[in-house]
Amino acid sequence: MDRSELDITAELALMDLTDDERGQLETAVAQLLEYFSVMDGIDVSGLAPTTRALQEGNRLRSDVLRTDGEAAQALADDILEQAPDLEDRFIAIPNVL
Amino acid sequence: MSLSPNVRWKSVLASADAFSQALRERDKRVNSFLEIDAALRSAGGTSDSGPLAGLPIAVKDNIAVRGFQLTCGSKILSSHVSPYDATVVARLAAAGAVPVGKTNLDEFGMGSSTDNSAGGSTNNPWDLDRVAGGSSGGSAAAVAAGLVPLALGTDTGGSVRQPAAFCGVYGLKPTYGSLSRYGLVAYASSLEVAGLLSYDIDLIRAAYRIAAGEDVMDQTSVGVPQGELLPPAAVRRVAFLGGELGLDASTAAAYRAMRELVESQGVTVDEVELETADYVVPAYYTIATAEASANLARFNGIRYGERPVFAENPEELVRSARGAGFGSEVKLRILLGTYVLRSGFQEQYYQRAQRIRTAIRHELGKLYETFDLIMLPTFPTVAFHHGERELDAFQQKVADRFTTMANLAALPALSIPAGIYDGLPVGIQAMGPAFSEERLLSFAELLAKDLPPARPPAYGTPLCDELADASGGRS
Repeated sequence: MDRSELDITAELALMDLTDDERGQLETAVAQLLEYFSVMDGIDVSGLAPTTRALQEGNRLRSDVLRTDGEAAQALADDILEQAPDLEDRFIAIPNVL
Repeated sequence: MSLSPNVRWKSVLASADAFSQALRERDKRVNSFLEIDAALRSAGGTSDSGPLAGLPIAVKDNIAVRGFQLTCGSKILSSHVSPYDATVVARLAAAGAVPVGKTNLDEFGMGSSTDNSAGGSTNNPWDLDRVAGGSSGGSAAAVAAGLVPLALGTDTGGSVRQPAAFCGVYGLKPTYGSLSRYGLVAYASSLEVAGLLSYDIDLIRAAYRIAAGEDVMDQTSVGVPQGELLPPAAVRRVAFLGGELGLDASTAAAYRAMRELVESQGVTVDEVELETADYVVPAYYTIATAEASANLARFNGIRYGERPVFAENPEELVRSARGAGFGSEVKLRILLGTYVLRSGFQEQYYQRAQRIRTAIRHELGKLYETFDLIMLPTFPTVAFHHGERELDAFQQKVADRFTTMANLAALPALSIPAGIYDGLPVGIQAMGPAFSEERLLSFAELLAKDLPPARPPAYGTPLCDELADASGGRS
């Protein structure tokens, strides 16, 4: 992986890197990608990919209101308590426009 | 189930101030805790009569405990406090366990040393110049130093078993899904599971039974088949992993001795080699980093995480929050994961790794048709020194070759303390088919009769005994 590939990848990952970090990460990423190429040595034709280990398919639950009303309210209160800034029960965030 | 540890610990917990002070004092040189609850406020609301009543537990700091911080060892979550309990914590607390603090870890669970933490390094209680292992290094060190009888960790690629081996305690990585992931901060969702660390097999068994089972909050959770909780049939055939294992002298000696010990129990032992052995670690890191790049997208200074004081626009805010908040190992894994998922590379890396994962599952599944258990080293070396003197960051990853296969195949594995060599513990793993936790624990119990775990010389007495003796002396 060269420097421009690294920069494109960092761009996709929405992550600022300092020049020092770019140097170190370029080497480290390249070393691991080369190691990943070991995977070319095994024949995997005919094998389906494993995306989940034990479970077959999605499991769904009904979209119903939680019955533990008080606990849910307490959870909401705890979350609001952590917000840096509140207006009534709304979280106030910095102006982004 | 033996209740004696509860009784001893309970009397100690009753005086919260003395306990938390003694905990802090004893942890000074080990640095296993990131946060200690001085008031033991969580002790108030828990069951007084449950099977774990009064039992203090340590919780890895990527598992949510209401009212405690949840930093994941990362700068980006340095001020995050959890408003809720993880399901595993809630279930243990309902049985009477008392979370007393949050333990150190490699940032977001990424590492083998607990050196990659914004909370500083954790030191191995057997030799403070050495690492405790990782990523659940704080939990393993807290148990080994006698601070708590039981600790919770998480295991994505060996993060419970490897530190357990380095610190000389038992470390159980259960079957994927048998312990709910609700309240675990996600790193690689298809691989990780909560795990248990202790000197006491009975405690691991009790805690596993209490915490295991389906959870509506985690759709990948699974119920443990009832038959699996019955006393298991005796282990008759065990496979030992053979071939060129690349072990250091201590680990090689412990592995040989373990094989002799197993044979002496009248168990048939065969040596096996795995055709997929060379592909396990690259497939693991491909899948783990790909999943990490998606899971860690939420730490962007808006949804979660510290944000910069000023930014021109939302995108700059996100870039800058992530740039400043993540450590270098986390950045490396996010970049790798993003790269292997880029269009054009998916088939070459991610898809291929998932097919290799299938091959590994098939190969292990076939072995379990013949063998009750597979035994293999937990890690190729004993605990290494801080500062990558023996193994650099890349070599530490390659050394995950014995632990990652259980995660890829969703299987339970237990790291068993296998003796002390040149003053340092060695761990050997037993890995079984899905839901064979009881078989693993019973087998470990059998081995412990001849090879009981040892405590580090500097921390030979558990904290509860020390405090109980001290108060006894005063009265």
